[in-house]
Amino acid sequence: MTGSNHTITQSSDLLLRALVELRDTFAATQEHLPAESLEDFSRLFEGGNRLEAMLARATADIDNHDLMNIFAAIRGYAELLQEDLDAQQVQLSDSLARLLKALQSAQPGSGKSRDSGDKRVIESEPGYILAVDDLKENRELVARNLSRIGHFVVTAASGEEALRALEQSDVDVVLLDLLMPGMDGREVLRRIKEHPDWRATPVIVISGQQDMDGIIECIEAGADDYLFKPFNQVLLQARIKAGIERKRWHDREEQYRQQLERNEKFIRATFGRYLSDEIVTDILERPEGLELGGDLRRVTIMMSDIRGFTTLSEHLAPAQVVTMLNRYLGAMTDIIMAHQGTIDEFIGDAILAVFGAPQHRDDDADRAVSCALEMQAAMAQINEVNEAEGLPVIKTGIALNTGDVIAGNIGSERRSKYGFVGHAMNVTSRIEDLTAGGGILVSDSTLQSLKGDFLVGDCQELKVKGIEESIVVHQILGSAL
Amino acid sequence: MTNQAPVLLVEDNELNRDMLVRRLNRAGVEVIVAGDGQQALDAMVSEQPRVVLMDMNLPVLDGWTACRRAREDPRISHIPIIALTAHAMESDRLNALQAGCDDYATKPVDFPGLLIKIEKLSRA
Repeated sequence: MTGSNHTITQSSDLLLRALVELRDTFAATQEHLPAESLEDFSRLFEGGNRLEAMLARATADIDNHDLMNIFAAIRGYAELLQEDLDAQQVQLSDSLARLLKALQSAQPGSGKSRDSGDKRVIESEPGYILAVDDLKENRELVARNLSRIGHFVVTAASGEEALRALEQSDVDVVLLDLLMPGMDGREVLRRIKEHPDWRATPVIVISGQQDMDGIIECIEAGADDYLFKPFNQVLLQARIKAGIERKRWHDREEQYRQQLERNEKFIRATFGRYLSDEIVTDILERPEGLELGGDLRRVTIMMSDIRGFTTLSEHLAPAQVVTMLNRYLGAMTDIIMAHQGTIDEFIGDAILAVFGAPQHRDDDADRAVSCALEMQAAMAQINEVNEAEGLPVIKTGIALNTGDVIAGNIGSERRSKYGFVGHAMNVTSRIEDLTAGGGILVSDSTLQSLKGDFLVGDCQELKVKGIEESIVVHQILGSAL
Repeated sequence: MTNQAPVLLVEDNELNRDMLVRRLNRAGVEVIVAGDGQQALDAMVSEQPRVVLMDMNLPVLDGWTACRRAREDPRISHIPIIALTAHAMESDRLNALQAGCDDYATKPVDFPGLLIKIEKLSRA
């Protein structure tokens, strides 16, 4: 750019002289001119004044685009006047001809030197760029440079305008001048990085070489990149490209995150009623540990029911039965979940829960036994409330058995649930039949699986239909302290 | 029959804009003006000009972007656009055509040539 300006100033002397000559000729002959031509002349000279003022500036400050527009305007008026002038106005016509000739040789773009800068163009996915700069020339230069390679560019002349532009569209990269009157670049950056929707939008800050501290401050405040003024346009394109790529990465990541969130919501909704929050979180954290296809697992199975419930309920109103059951099942559910048990189902007054699926832990049996003890302990309070409401006192028996079951989504396509099948389930049910009100019976396999100490009472043998050997069951009296 | 709606001139440099308006008026062409790309799009929608003369280096919304948007907007996508580009910027011209401009004229414009282009596109 600077090189081409050099050419302009060299040939501009000729042009300025031609303008002076035209002025003189005009001054001497103007009374013969029609009003329209007078107006054209005054505008032409206005252009001349601007041109002079512009050429008086330092070469580096000259905006080629403005210069080109002034040239174009002067030339337009000169041509127009030449067409309109009488054949008699030879002097003026000659002056205009000389001006046009001078314009032609001084014209930006007439020499080969223009547009001879770095011709490399950085290929990039098109992006939506917001260029913020209080100086019009800078905004236009950037806009031209970036739109030419396919980006969509919006410009803002102030911090306030920039924030409005961000609100209106999904910007990929912000190009931000730091020094602006009013809301400056730092403040715009701060607002962008504080805004939940804009935070991820890459910001490239622009400042003078002397403002190193400002740049550092901005990088610390979250700016993604920087450019020192005056910057190379190819470097700008490269940084913009990098910014767009970063933004696209973020967008994809965000999409992926939202998908995960939806999956997590789905899993929580599906399992939340059966599993404790902790187990659901575990599954979500280690999704590979959960195969719903069905697999063999060693679990501790818990069955609990209210002794003589059927008989009891015959003497109560249906609403009373439901009130009493819900109070009981609600309290038990809380305790089971607190012990990370999986409630498989409620069958009337009976509860079927499993410890060790879908997530196996080393202390599955211990938690199951502690859970059973706590469930029995909680009955006192439940019965207190029952009695206060004139409802019968209830007693429960709990059976625990440890064995291999198949765990998985069981059912048809229309209706399926996470459930368990296997011989160990049947055995648990048989043990449950033996429990007395207030008691806890565990199979020998559960007792063998315990790591902690518990108070163990009498043992008895149990014949189970379908298997040869009998099973030994033990009474649990409490936790050993 | 030639469409007699006005011609829309989009130019932010008022010196050059006034000159072109005067010359076009003198040649019997009715002209309305816009100073930036956004104004241009608004004017295209409300005034339905027969041809648009658009400078490419515009504030707010540049000419290339305005052009692309105009081509995507069914209300104005049919209006022919002549890009006004800098003389030596070959790339500007190519990009103007790529952005959907129908023709271009380099600045400073060859005025008789510009009039011919306007008439040609008005009839199209």
